[in-house]
Amino acid sequence: MSCDLRAKERSGIINPIFTCQPCGAQYVSIGIKDCIAIVHGGQGCVMFVRMLFAQHFKDNFDIASSSLHEDSAVFGATGRVETAVDVLLARYPHVRVIPIITTCSTEIIGDDIEGVINKLNNGLLKEKYAGREVHLVPVHTPSFKGSMISGYDVAVESLVKAFAEQTTPNGKINLITGWVNPGDVTALKHLLAMMQIDATVLFEIESFDSPLMPDKSGVSHGETTVEDLKDTANAVGTIALNRYEGGKAAKYLEKKFKVPSVIGPSPIGIRNTDTFLKQLQTMSGKPIPEALVKERGIAIDAITDLAHMFFADKRVAIFGAPDLVISLAEFCIDMEMKPVLLLLGDDNSGYKKDDRIKALQANVDWDMEIIMNADLWELDDRIKNKGLKLDLIMGHSKGRWAAIDNHIPMVRVGFPTYDRAGLYRHPVVGYAGAIWLAEEIANTLFTDMEYKRNKEWLLNVW
Amino acid sequence: MPYHEFECSTCIPERKSHAVLKGEEDDLTTCLPEGHLATIPGTISERGCAYCGAKHVIGTPMKDAIHMSHGPVGCTYDTWQTKRYISDNDNFQLKYTHATDMKETHVVFGGMDLLKKNMIEAFKAHPEINRMTVYQTCASALIGDDMEAMAREVMKELPGTDIFVCNAPGFGGPSQSGGHHKINISWINEKVGTVEPKITSDYVINYVGDYNIQGDCEVMCDFFKRMGIQVLSTFTGNGSYDELRGMHRAHLNVLECARSAEYICNELRVKYGIPRLDIDGFGFGPLSESLMKVARFFGLEDRAQAIIDEEVARWKPELDWYKKRLTGVKVCLWPGGSKLWHWANAIHEEMGVEVVSLYTKFGHQGDMEKGIARAEVGTLAIDDPNELEGLEAMRMMKPDVIFTGVRPGEVAKKQRIQYLNAHAYHNGPYKGFEGWVRFARDIYNAHYSPIHQLSGIDISKDDFNIDKGFMTRQMISDVKLTPEEAHVEGETPYTGEFDCVTPLRTKTYPSELTRSTTAQAV
Repeated sequence: MSCDLRAKERSGIINPIFTCQPCGAQYVSIGIKDCIAIVHGGQGCVMFVRMLFAQHFKDNFDIASSSLHEDSAVFGATGRVETAVDVLLARYPHVRVIPIITTCSTEIIGDDIEGVINKLNNGLLKEKYAGREVHLVPVHTPSFKGSMISGYDVAVESLVKAFAEQTTPNGKINLITGWVNPGDVTALKHLLAMMQIDATVLFEIESFDSPLMPDKSGVSHGETTVEDLKDTANAVGTIALNRYEGGKAAKYLEKKFKVPSVIGPSPIGIRNTDTFLKQLQTMSGKPIPEALVKERGIAIDAITDLAHMFFADKRVAIFGAPDLVISLAEFCIDMEMKPVLLLLGDDNSGYKKDDRIKALQANVDWDMEIIMNADLWELDDRIKNKGLKLDLIMGHSKGRWAAIDNHIPMVRVGFPTYDRAGLYRHPVVGYAGAIWLAEEIANTLFTDMEYKRNKEWLLNVW
Repeated sequence: MPYHEFECSTCIPERKSHAVLKGEEDDLTTCLPEGHLATIPGTISERGCAYCGAKHVIGTPMKDAIHMSHGPVGCTYDTWQTKRYISDNDNFQLKYTHATDMKETHVVFGGMDLLKKNMIEAFKAHPEINRMTVYQTCASALIGDDMEAMAREVMKELPGTDIFVCNAPGFGGPSQSGGHHKINISWINEKVGTVEPKITSDYVINYVGDYNIQGDCEVMCDFFKRMGIQVLSTFTGNGSYDELRGMHRAHLNVLECARSAEYICNELRVKYGIPRLDIDGFGFGPLSESLMKVARFFGLEDRAQAIIDEEVARWKPELDWYKKRLTGVKVCLWPGGSKLWHWANAIHEEMGVEVVSLYTKFGHQGDMEKGIARAEVGTLAIDDPNELEGLEAMRMMKPDVIFTGVRPGEVAKKQRIQYLNAHAYHNGPYKGFEGWVRFARDIYNAHYSPIHQLSGIDISKDDFNIDKGFMTRQMISDVKLTPEEAHVEGETPYTGEFDCVTPLRTKTYPSELTRSTTAQAV
């Protein structure tokens, strides 16, 4: 009985769990109001990320490219950033924030982004756009470092750094959600409202789920403002729900402006949600209200109907964003399941030092593997060739074939989940998320039992 | 030139020559936008990169090869599971993708060892596959890794394997089109002629420029096989790596998408003297004419005619059912490249829809020439459209349905305009006679969707009816038809199956058709 933590042995990637850093930065950019990012690189770095967002949300998000062509690769491409900023500002009068997101190509050719921003600030913006508030923010996300997860982390930090400004204490809590869905933000804001806590939410993305309106006015875009970002320096504290997606910004605010921070755990499952509420209570001094005891009770009631009858000892593999994977594993264990394989899809050296992983290593009483720098072949190969037995896979849509080909039921969770309808609308965080996850797991297992004729008669009486 | 200047683009005057509004007197000499020029940064263009043109569009549909990109993981991830190019070997090419996962240390010290290790690992992971295509990315191009050298080393170390290298980094040209060109030329230079194919028919073709989207290619090959023609290779939909190495033994190259694959046909003509015949699998008329063209080359007109007669008899009444109901429906034909002219006239003639706008993301002027030649007066044609121009065009042209990609389709949705996926199709295949009916069915289902009707109602302001619990599509579409028009003996909506492709895979074809002596007997 052991929990084995190690890195994938192969050097390459067969079926990646993550895409590269610029995607994470682009995800952050769409959460900001009046913001269109320019990705400085080849056009594919934007076109495909926009397509990925469109696949996941079934909606469109605007992100621009500096459209690197051959000549730029040879002679440098800062000129294309200058043109891009000008064209974007001229045609989008509402734009106030332009993150300039680098990629592998423009980091390798060594374009001086800070230099060109300086030049634009002192030239174009003063001359052609005098009187207009425009913020150009450098975001360095070379694709050959980290992953979309670290790209998200870097971008939140870059934006907070660019804007945070100490003025007067605002009495608010900064809530840095990490890479979540609109449904998660709704659930988190509900918990804040129940606690009567005023918070600055990075990022306000509920509006990603936008309506199709008779007057055609529906637009999917985040609503965190420049003012919100500025005000982060004046909060009573920061709670970053995900260590690897927003943790850097929380630490920055603590170091620079003495805003105390709590980092993680992601409030997935009953126990982690309890922890989150306790953190809110400690930071705000406000009590956890009776109404939340009731909400928690409803979740526990629902899970009690499922856990020891259907979930106990079910073997689960989980892949995706590290905070999500770890928290899901913790929740699964609380629901009597056995996570036997966790796949963390990049080479972040921090995983080894993560207390949550250490706790798994110290306490898990069955055989469990945690693979760092993993790809989806680590899952597929174990099932196909190494005899891994699984009852359930949890992860995002890119892993769908591992489930389909091996006839293992799969709960879609994380990003992206384009092969199931509307999942971005449902939370995985909070008590509401705990209910959704537990019931999604149950219904997925039930459907599989019926499809495979595997004791499907159990459900005749339940 | 009747250039159309978009209001949103007056501040970028160089855009003006990229759109035209076709007038009464216009022909190609007076009405043609510029094309295939460098993209203006910051316009929010819809273009992709040359890497995706090579790897994603043309390379990956090859069904029996490991597909690997040498670079950071993103290029691979981003171009994986975004297409519907299926295959008859359980979709290996859709399921597996490989990245060498280039990191900072490789950028500094070189990534050739990494590439070699990756190639060996990948062959080990898929022992049943011994063919591989490897693609350069921006990063590996900029650091100058010699990928061919590594491929040669690995082929030597692992006898029986074969590796194809394509150097088409993302920044190579204004759009994905540069990548199409590069992979075409690399394939003919590196791989064609290295395998001697088994010739089993007196009539031998390569079917080129079809990527088997939802089974298009398999549908077309069914027609060829019914004529007794051996399809030596398909470039590259449902294509086999080794079959594509034997392209040089075909008697004829039958070319579908001239935008992405004319280069290899031209080279096959120069190097091996194989003639090129451009065809069109979309639409009853163009497809019938295309099958006859191929037949004429081999003297198989009778067989082609028999197929055409059979197919038309089976499917024409269903197409007519839709045509009646689609007549006058306004559509924007906004695909990536060549579909703008493959579809332009055919959908007007055969489905009755009015094409009010054409655009192309990566097409060249030649594509626009063909598109505009086939377009009606009043059509707005746009090269390399961007987000705001697309919106402005929608407001100006007021289309009912737009044929475009997934993401622009979502933009259209918010404008209360239905969209059909022009790249991956909604419920394809769209090639073939049955496929064309499926296309008409999809347009009909989009346009007459009861939910679409409801989307225009503002319940806070409008006086809306509450007398109905539902509407069928026909309750909406048939309002404008007389009872005599609506009910014609034999005409019905589409009666085919959800999956019309899989049954083709187990179909057998009489071998005697492949010999020219029997041709005379038919």
